[in-house]
Amino acid sequence: MASRGSTAVANQSSVVKWVLRFLVIGYLLMLVAWPTAYVVKHTFADGLTGIQDALADPDVVHALKLTAQIAVIAVIINTVFGVGMSLLLVRKTFIGKRALSVLIDLPLSVSPVVVGLALVLVYNGRFGWFGPWLEDHGIQVIFAKPGMIMATCFVILPLVIREVVPVLEELGDDQEQAARSLGANARQTFMRITLPGIKWAVVYGVVLSLARALGEFGAVKVVAGNVGGETQVATVLVQQKYQNFQQETAYSVAFMLVFMAVLCLVVVALLRPKEQES
Amino acid sequence: MSIEIKGVNKKFGDFVALDDVNVSLPTGQLTALLGPSGGGKSTLLRIIAGLDSADTGTISIEGTNATELPPQKRNVGFVFQHYAVFKHMTVAKNVAFGLEIRKRPKAEVAEKVDELLRLVHLSQFAHRLPSQLSGGQRQRMALARALAVEPTVLLLDEPFGALDAKVRKELRDWLRRLHDEVHVTTVFVTHDQEEAMEVADEIVVINEGRVEQVGTPDQLYDEPANDFVMGFLGEITTLNGVMLRPHDVHISLTPQLPGAAEGTISRLLRVGFEVRATVLTDDGDEVTVVLTRTHARQLGLETGVRVWVTAASGALTMPSLSVAR
Amino acid sequence: MASAVAVGGRPARKRRSASSGSLTRGSAFGLGVSMIWFSLLVLIPLSAIIVKAAGGGLSTFTDVLTNDNTRAALGLTVVSSLIITAINMVMGTIIAWVLVRDRFPGKGLLDLIIDIPFAMPTIVAGLVLLSLYGPESPIGVEVNSTRWAVLLAIAFVTLPFVVRTVQPVLEELDTDVEDAAASLGATRFTTFRRVVLPSLVPAIFAGAALSFARGISEYGALVLISGNLPRKTEVVSVRLFSFLEGGNTEAAAAVATIMLLVALLAIVALDVIQRRVARRG
Repeated sequence: MASRGSTAVANQSSVVKWVLRFLVIGYLLMLVAWPTAYVVKHTFADGLTGIQDALADPDVVHALKLTAQIAVIAVIINTVFGVGMSLLLVRKTFIGKRALSVLIDLPLSVSPVVVGLALVLVYNGRFGWFGPWLEDHGIQVIFAKPGMIMATCFVILPLVIREVVPVLEELGDDQEQAARSLGANARQTFMRITLPGIKWAVVYGVVLSLARALGEFGAVKVVAGNVGGETQVATVLVQQKYQNFQQETAYSVAFMLVFMAVLCLVVVALLRPKEQES
Repeated sequence: MSIEIKGVNKKFGDFVALDDVNVSLPTGQLTALLGPSGGGKSTLLRIIAGLDSADTGTISIEGTNATELPPQKRNVGFVFQHYAVFKHMTVAKNVAFGLEIRKRPKAEVAEKVDELLRLVHLSQFAHRLPSQLSGGQRQRMALARALAVEPTVLLLDEPFGALDAKVRKELRDWLRRLHDEVHVTTVFVTHDQEEAMEVADEIVVINEGRVEQVGTPDQLYDEPANDFVMGFLGEITTLNGVMLRPHDVHISLTPQLPGAAEGTISRLLRVGFEVRATVLTDDGDEVTVVLTRTHARQLGLETGVRVWVTAASGALTMPSLSVAR
Repeated sequence: MASAVAVGGRPARKRRSASSGSLTRGSAFGLGVSMIWFSLLVLIPLSAIIVKAAGGGLSTFTDVLTNDNTRAALGLTVVSSLIITAINMVMGTIIAWVLVRDRFPGKGLLDLIIDIPFAMPTIVAGLVLLSLYGPESPIGVEVNSTRWAVLLAIAFVTLPFVVRTVQPVLEELDTDVEDAAASLGATRFTTFRRVVLPSLVPAIFAGAALSFARGISEYGALVLISGNLPRKTEVVSVRLFSFLEGGNTEAAAAVATIMLLVALLAIVALDVIQRRVARRG
């Protein structure tokens, strides 16, 4: 019955209610909504020509393709890792589990530039710990795609895990044990019982990581060569174009990135209620 | 009269929760609002407390018109089904809350809290957090918290609903004794007719937003105003177009009373000291009969035996206009 | 539904599987692979920074810390992040409150807007802010290359953290408890201060720790709008980047180590608070 809501709680003094409402709407408008909307306006100031011009630039097209490619690969790697790690963290006991679950969150608090620096120190071909050996075997990491993928993976590492772990904890392992008792093996139990239970959490985590991966800037900038048409991703291109006074192109590419980000959010928002229903 | 409810209506969207409710609840008594879930009794209680507001109608408490008063000013104690404890405060702090709000002197607060914790048998738990208490203890704490402000009326919303059967029974007896000690006008909501009959001085039966009947437990049981009340307060069965209680059915192996219906025992169930027989009459009625084991043995009842059933003399009967269940 | 939730006073969210299994051969292999990847990606590179910084001895750190520009950048970053974190604790709680308790058309849109800073590329965030608060500001507010710009950019990127940690706690909060306080005579304000706020505090601090950690590490959103003026608007990430570009990896590693330490402090604080929440129940 409490779900119906209490009049006493809902009927807060209407003055306070309006002040809070105004404050929140004003704050979000000035900080997020208006600036974001203004970028859209800026982009379409001359109709579609801004976007068309931008897409006519081969560097732009290449940067967008590269960004998409890196984001997709990083998200796939991270999803497999994230789901596996979540299962281990929730369902298994092993030494150092607590420490590991704290360390998993580390990337959230590390500056992207530090991420880049860390990878450079280990994987660069001249003085890195593993870099020279890897280059001798024909694998270039820094200033190449592997480094950019690793940087992206680093940044999005906790996102899937943070979504899946609470859902796994909530689910408990009763159903899994029931499946086991009915003769299902580990793989069948995972595919038929566990995965359907965490499906929406995984999708949510994937969409969030995709949004972050498409937009990663600092870490990728450090490890990539940033050569236009070769190792320059979309975000770095935005900065370079802006600083080269090609503002129209910068805004157009920025708009496309914002569009992707908002699209990801809308997908997530649409998924949310479904997740509660199931 | 302590609480006067006049012409109260309440809708949630299209759902009519209360439909023109008029009730007077007497001072110093323990009254039960009894009815099925979703019948509007909790809503009525919350409206008395000011936690919900009525669409129309008035509420007066001890002669004061409380209709427009916010809950803070009604001086009612409210006990919630799920305790609504303040999790971050100790038991003593929970009980002291209302007094601290009223800015009573510290010494007085401490004394009062001590007294109340003794009353609810929680003295040794004063400095624990609610999470360290059992459900029954939490509810006793919630009761002490409500009583601390010396409310004009004490309102309890399904207070024992979340507790297991044994604790519920204990707390029910305890509430009755507590009321005999404290004498505060008390209204509690329940869907359990046994609980209402055992504890309350007076029962208000509410169904589908309407008051069906008001009376003492005996009145309701012996003189139900309608088939709903009769059905809700105890088991009923239908025989020859009248409703009656299964233990009021006279059963015999030969036609003894005029108008008895003939039938066959289709099922015999022993529950402790009583026997429940299902008789399929030749008219097609399925009649439930309850009798003692001794009686059943004397008659030699078994499935398949032919019997005659009719209302015992002095039985409470009511024409069955609608099928009550 | 409500009854199932509130019996224990709190939903069974923290349920640990009673029979959490020990490692089987398959899961041990999985753990091994995961740990190797995690080490190669995160642990070894981060240790490399510390090793590099330590390799230069204590003098690297003293050199870095006595450098006026670096010290100013560190100070600016930490102070700005603290200011914004304090603002987030207040505004984030208010926003969460309005999102959970108020009802008005368009509220769903506000909910979406909260996540924009999280999903938006940081460089674009900078550009977005620059479009409204930059040299061509349509409202005549020009803050680029001032310390206001640093605050603005940090406020933008850290917006979701407190809101998103407080919101679920507030949603789960039993309104009965507020009703109980009201019937005991507490005013709305007293109820909020004495009953609601204490339940929110752990979440507010958890969000604050995340917000602070993100604030001190922000780079992308700041490059364009802050102007990167040494000793005025240059934040530590930008400083770090210029060390890197100049090939001064030792100084870069030293600065990075200091940043990691501050971030680690924030994480430990977060974990301590979360454990405290879990204990209460």
